[in-house]
Amino acid sequence: MHESSRSGRRLHPLPLRIMHWVNAVVMLVMITSGWGIYDDDVIIRGFHFGSFWRLGDWAAWSLNWHFAGMWFLAINGLIYLGYGLVTGRFREKLFPIRPAELVQTVVDTLHFRIAHDDLTIYNAVQKLLYIVVILAGIAQVVTGLAIWKPVQFSGLVAALGGFQTARVLHFAGMAVIVGFLVVHVTLALLVPKTLLAMLSGGPRLGVSAPDKEEPAR
Amino acid sequence: MKRAIVSGALAVAAIAALAGSAWAQSPTPGGMPPPPGMSLAQSAAMRFPQPVRVGDLLGRAVLQPVESQNVLGRVRQVVRNPDGEIMVVIAFGGFLGWGTRPIAVPVDAMVLLGQDMEVVAYTPDELRRFPTFVPGGSSDVADDTIIRVGLAKPSH
Amino acid sequence: MRSRFRPDTIPDASVLESHKPLIRSLERRGLIRGGVSLGALAMLTGCDVDRPESVESALLAISRFNDTVQAWLFDPNRLAPTYPESMILRPPKFNAYYDVTEVKPVDGASWRLELAGLVADKRPWTLADLHALPQRAMVIKHICVEGWSYIGGWTGVPLRTLLERCGADLRARYVAFKTADDYPSSIDMATALHPQTLLALKYGDETLADPFGYPVRLRMATKLGYKNPKWVTAIEVTNTYPGGFWEAKGFPWFAGL
Repeated sequence: MHESSRSGRRLHPLPLRIMHWVNAVVMLVMITSGWGIYDDDVIIRGFHFGSFWRLGDWAAWSLNWHFAGMWFLAINGLIYLGYGLVTGRFREKLFPIRPAELVQTVVDTLHFRIAHDDLTIYNAVQKLLYIVVILAGIAQVVTGLAIWKPVQFSGLVAALGGFQTARVLHFAGMAVIVGFLVVHVTLALLVPKTLLAMLSGGPRLGVSAPDKEEPAR
Repeated sequence: MKRAIVSGALAVAAIAALAGSAWAQSPTPGGMPPPPGMSLAQSAAMRFPQPVRVGDLLGRAVLQPVESQNVLGRVRQVVRNPDGEIMVVIAFGGFLGWGTRPIAVPVDAMVLLGQDMEVVAYTPDELRRFPTFVPGGSSDVADDTIIRVGLAKPSH
Repeated sequence: MRSRFRPDTIPDASVLESHKPLIRSLERRGLIRGGVSLGALAMLTGCDVDRPESVESALLAISRFNDTVQAWLFDPNRLAPTYPESMILRPPKFNAYYDVTEVKPVDGASWRLELAGLVADKRPWTLADLHALPQRAMVIKHICVEGWSYIGGWTGVPLRTLLERCGADLRARYVAFKTADDYPSSIDMATALHPQTLLALKYGDETLADPFGYPVRLRMATKLGYKNPKWVTAIEVTNTYPGGFWEAKGFPWFAGL
């Protein structure tokens, strides 16, 4: 990575930024087309998504969006997971989470003390939220596979508790991701420099410290 | 490049917001009320009434034939009223099963929709004006009795 | 003050006159009546606002790619889970592209199953002929693309048996169906030969009822509900993609479970 050799690695290296924004678009496609599919047989009786919220003007096109988006979501997600593991980014950014730190951050947030002076360090709540949403994304792929191919992957469906349970889990996973999105986007707008950092790459990291975290290339 | 990605995201958001012409999947939505002037029995006869065991109806959700599938209540009992008509006693209204009251709806006003039932001949407002069911004069229909109930396609 | 958007030279009023026939013809087509709305824009482009032609064809291309992936994922030897008879939903759930009141019952006595395409013996089959063939029963989950599902019990002739008896080319790509309710459908040969693909004559030991496809319907344990035509009247074995009712409206063709 020539950026680091110049003047220190960026907080968000270019590949990561690309993956982030690809994921942002694909997630929107998957969520809103999923709402279109949901409406044909609601899971929560009495609740359906208005046409404003649905991608695809009726079920066939919501399905086509969903079954097209799934490839981009899965491939982008796999590259992201590989990148996070191989570069050590997950280990560096998301761990460890200390319970005391978690409580302190929640207390601080409730007092409207949102500390974002140093963008390069995630607080405990951020770490937890990122881990939860990454796991939710993986879970969506797994439950999605079960719903898509309940005969070919009948063992998976049985492990999830049956076809209808898999559907409910797929819906619940969506709810977790949407919940994350609400918090994530709100915070990004409240602290705009975090949003800018995901566009520009953010501050350059000190040449000394994080470099030794990186595996040999 | 960055800008392209951002505008892409915005475009998708805009597309998602615009999504929604009136084209529905069903040219004829299921569970339409009977045409005006037609008796309940006549309209039920058009719905290919199928044999069903009374015991299999108990506990079923009773839905409103709309996209959001609002739950109107649950089947509590099937009775024959003094006129000999089969009525479905529904634990009606309330919230999540709390605060319901029993009402008796003619079986010909209802249809089978898979594991659920629907009321096609009355709106929820009309059902709200139904008197509370009192057993006097009606006789319980045994679980093993086979009755015939019409069908409807899903509404959406 | 004069608007900056006003043209410097005003066109002659006769221009309007010369364009009247065109305007009238446009009016007749309802384009102007539609007004300058998103709806009219959608009509002009021939498709919906959220689905421009380029997006639509890209989505359909991916859908066709998905058909290939699904055919590759399909294991002809894998059986769908089956259930005890006590779990059969009686009666089954009705669905069609119209409501049940529009169902037109078919007369079983005069009904014939026509055969066409890559088939050696094209003699039509009667209902009695089908009943005389070996039968198979299965209690399987019916899964609709809409998301709902129920357990149904179906008895009938394995489609494979019929195809073998009439000398169909089992290496052909597609098996297509015509029905009494104008609901054309087609499946891949691998699924047609799957042991849980039946020409169903009975539901839970009773003769199939009118709304569920009497006298004969297709039931497959390995495809979504909409791939199972009711009131089947003709079967064609072919190498030319036959499509189907919902497929023509954009739904995926393979639709395997």
